[in-house]
Amino acid sequence: MAAQIASTRSLSVGAGSAGIVATALLLLGLSAMIFAPRVVGEYGTEIGFRALIYLTLAEAWNLLAGYGGLVSLGSSSFVGIGAYILMGMLNAGGFGIVTALTASGLGAAALAIMVSPAVFRLRGLYFTVGTLALGEALRLFMINVSYFGGATGIFLKSNPPPTEVLYVYAVALAGIATLVMEIYTGTRFSILLRSVRDDEDAASQVGVRAFRVKLLAFAVASLLMGAAGGLQALKLGAIEPYGMFGLQWSIDTLSIVIIGGLGVRFGPIVGTIFVIALAEALADYPELHLAMTGVILILVIRFAPKGLCGLGQDVCRLLIGRWDRPGMPRAGGALP
Amino acid sequence: MNCQRPTAVKWHRAKCPRRRVAIGARAGSALVALVLYSAAACAADDIVVGASIPLSGPLAGFGSFQQWGYKRAVDEVNKAGGIAIDGKKLNVRLILRDDKTDPNVTASNTETLISRDHVTAILGSCTPVLVNAGALVAERHRIPLVTACDPLEAFKSVRKWSYAWDLFFHEPDLAAAPFRMLEAFKVQTNKRVAILHDNGPDGQVVGGQVWPEIAKSTGYEVVQNSSFPVDNTQFTSLIAEAKSKNADIALVDAITPQAVALRKQMASANFTPKVLVIEKGGEPVQFAQALGKLSDGVLVGGYWDPSFPYPGAADLAKAFEKQTGQTSSQHIADSYAAAQVLLDAIAVAGSTDAQKINAAIAKTDKTYVVGPIKFDENHTSKLPIVEDQWRSGNTAVVWPSERATGKFLFPLP
Amino acid sequence: MPSVELIASSLVSGFLLGGILALTALGLSLVLGVMRLVNLAHGEFLIAGAYAGLFLVKYTGIDPLLGLLVIGGVIGLLALPMHQFLLMPLAGKGPEAPMMTTFGVSIILQNAFVLAFSADTRAIERDYANVALTLGPVTVAQIYVIGFAISASVVGAVHILIAYTAFGRDLRASAADADAAATIGVNVRRVHALTFALGAGCAALGGTLIGIAFAFTPVSGATYLLTDFAIVVLGGLGNILGTLIGGITLGVLQSIGGVMLGDGYRDLVGLALFLVVLAFRPQGLLAASRS
Repeated sequence: MAAQIASTRSLSVGAGSAGIVATALLLLGLSAMIFAPRVVGEYGTEIGFRALIYLTLAEAWNLLAGYGGLVSLGSSSFVGIGAYILMGMLNAGGFGIVTALTASGLGAAALAIMVSPAVFRLRGLYFTVGTLALGEALRLFMINVSYFGGATGIFLKSNPPPTEVLYVYAVALAGIATLVMEIYTGTRFSILLRSVRDDEDAASQVGVRAFRVKLLAFAVASLLMGAAGGLQALKLGAIEPYGMFGLQWSIDTLSIVIIGGLGVRFGPIVGTIFVIALAEALADYPELHLAMTGVILILVIRFAPKGLCGLGQDVCRLLIGRWDRPGMPRAGGALP
Repeated sequence: MNCQRPTAVKWHRAKCPRRRVAIGARAGSALVALVLYSAAACAADDIVVGASIPLSGPLAGFGSFQQWGYKRAVDEVNKAGGIAIDGKKLNVRLILRDDKTDPNVTASNTETLISRDHVTAILGSCTPVLVNAGALVAERHRIPLVTACDPLEAFKSVRKWSYAWDLFFHEPDLAAAPFRMLEAFKVQTNKRVAILHDNGPDGQVVGGQVWPEIAKSTGYEVVQNSSFPVDNTQFTSLIAEAKSKNADIALVDAITPQAVALRKQMASANFTPKVLVIEKGGEPVQFAQALGKLSDGVLVGGYWDPSFPYPGAADLAKAFEKQTGQTSSQHIADSYAAAQVLLDAIAVAGSTDAQKINAAIAKTDKTYVVGPIKFDENHTSKLPIVEDQWRSGNTAVVWPSERATGKFLFPLP
Repeated sequence: MPSVELIASSLVSGFLLGGILALTALGLSLVLGVMRLVNLAHGEFLIAGAYAGLFLVKYTGIDPLLGLLVIGGVIGLLALPMHQFLLMPLAGKGPEAPMMTTFGVSIILQNAFVLAFSADTRAIERDYANVALTLGPVTVAQIYVIGFAISASVVGAVHILIAYTAFGRDLRASAADADAAATIGVNVRRVHALTFALGAGCAALGGTLIGIAFAFTPVSGATYLLTDFAIVVLGGLGNILGTLIGGITLGVLQSIGGVMLGDGYRDLVGLALFLVVLAFRPQGLLAASRS
């Protein structure tokens, strides 16, 4: 899968003018969405909030797994840490929401940096299993240690801000995630990360400091996840280990990115929209919904390794290929 | 080429790229329109009541009972013609959503119920974690929420509620029941008590605080007090310790999977206390089904039995068993009662205004199928506790004697 | 200070329990070692075996331990089409794709269990599972002894299968270098399919034992998945006897953790150990040799 991604021509490292325009439109769209609550009402705002949280998580995970090849099943660790940090700070008093959210992100990044020496010794599937174990270990730890509330968890002492305000925070966070990805794809760092992903040993041989590259990606991704976790905690008002350190965070994030397109720039947003739409449509048929997610995941992996985004590109290329006038070179290169 | 403007689900089928953008925009606006339409479509020709309950996930068993209880109350009201709002009789529409035993989902479900479905009031989920998630949302939006299935101390410890109301048992009552029963029957034991509890919210209260306190104050000796995570699977060390301390009385508070495993491991460790109480997990019928003979003699606190002298108690159980073919459970009663309390309050208020309904709930003072319901200043209403005991796959009330439907088996078979 | 009986019993119980857990991990080790496949649906295979045992005794009255081979065979056969249609087409596309596919299968299976069998807690009720054996200061559950015996036998049988039979030779060749094995005439596809089925069958056996000794629900598979990963890593991927040793080690260490810190910390001790071993010796505590 990694090899396939590497060989795809549609991923251009420098992004090119099309990419910049697209991202600018995205950012513009996100900014416009700040006014959305007045248009779509409360329900739309809530869905939007959820979508933006997932988008942030998906962008972060895409950076880590798609671009970095570090397939992590431990997203829940960072979401949970961020949640608890925010609760702790707001309950302690004297901190604003922005400060608390920043602390959530930084705390999660700190956790990432702390475990990186151990976790980066692991390659490939060992890394995946190791992050899964990390997430679970953290959850068990939080359940057993009563200082953090144990299984009862922590409640927010003050009242959380209204949905519209939370929504603006979510837009800001998603905007930051998008900006981070834009900066990433536009700089040399993306080349370094890709080289580490494709062949870490070879990259080290030509002077790439693989550990630092991976660490930076890991820390940035964890920071975004931690902030998202903090924001979710703010909305809930009450958190406990099963809800915030639970495996469902890792599962949902992974599903969204795979369905949207792993390692594809717009994979996360396509995946988020699809998954949220599916969840709302099947809200009254829970087992069906979960089973469908599993089925779609399998189908996407089997038939559309680049996700819905890739599927769209392939369809596009197929159709443009057919519209070529005879004698003209095919646009976009060879058919898949 | 890159993916442009991904705004709708089926955009990848469109021909590209400019048309894709156009279709995307059209689909996007369709989505917005749908949302607005559904917002507008909540015209008040029904009284809408919403509930997010665990219909899947580990607590699915509870959720199915709640679903039945809530639905029955609503159906009965509708059959009687509905509720009069501002003079006009309207039907009640119940919207149920599954929260998959995930508090994040309970919260978002409750939000959707309020913002998209425009519910007048909400009925709660089950267990403190889920109820809290929904109640906090309702509180924030100032929508009344009536719940059962949430022990009162755990409910009170979250905050001082303004819009959430809880009718259920009080953990200290539940914890005291076995001791009071032992005293009443003058049971002969060595008065050594081993307490094994999970570290969930009510496990901490019942097992961590109340049981030790009551044990001490009634002259029992607590020889062991161990806690374990809610989803623990191995209990060998705990059981070995209880056995070595020679405890005649074992008090357990855990959910059903753990309760079953614990009982089995007790048997295979040759630890048979004379009195075994398994709160929470020992209550549903799946406990007895999974254990068979091993479930005989296990005591569990209950807050309702079809034999109770309250209006409609026996009929409720019969109706449940007839309609679903399953064994009745006490959870049908508290959810049925909770829904009735809410519907009665709406009828008294005669309006769908949240404040009026909330005020009406506060004035509730009536006997329902679970007993007399009257909320105190903490928005809680206590249900009386009895002690049940399993025998041959069925429970019988063994204490207090006025309510007893069976003889107390002692010691544990 | 806990009593001598307590410590002795805990250690022996941990030893025996570890052996039983090794059986649950055996399938995972095989599949990981031979096919380099992280089977995230492994826990669900366990639970499928538990349900199979439950229904076997419920509808035919045959004791699950007597019907173990049948249970293993049925689940193994059911796993074959999964491999054929879902995993084989992904061969050669890197390790993430099959892993995420098994992930999808795990989600589907969990929900299928809930839909088919309800979310109720189940246990296979057998009289011999509720008896304790005492020898001196040590008291252990009889089912642990029975389970350990079964587990050791199965591990031994699989070891013999892999070390001394033609199939085993093909399997080892495919594990060492699939391309090279293909060039010398090994039908790698068939080997992988059979290995996957064998892994699923072993998991089912472990699951039946779990069902008899403890309780299970449609979602209990995930807990055992992590424990099994720990055992596999401890013992070395694909090392059959290593799996048994890894299981026993984990069982004993978990017991020590349980006695010293409380039963709640058992799983945490296991996971912590797992992470430590992963970090410092991912090829396993034992030498990295394949069996």
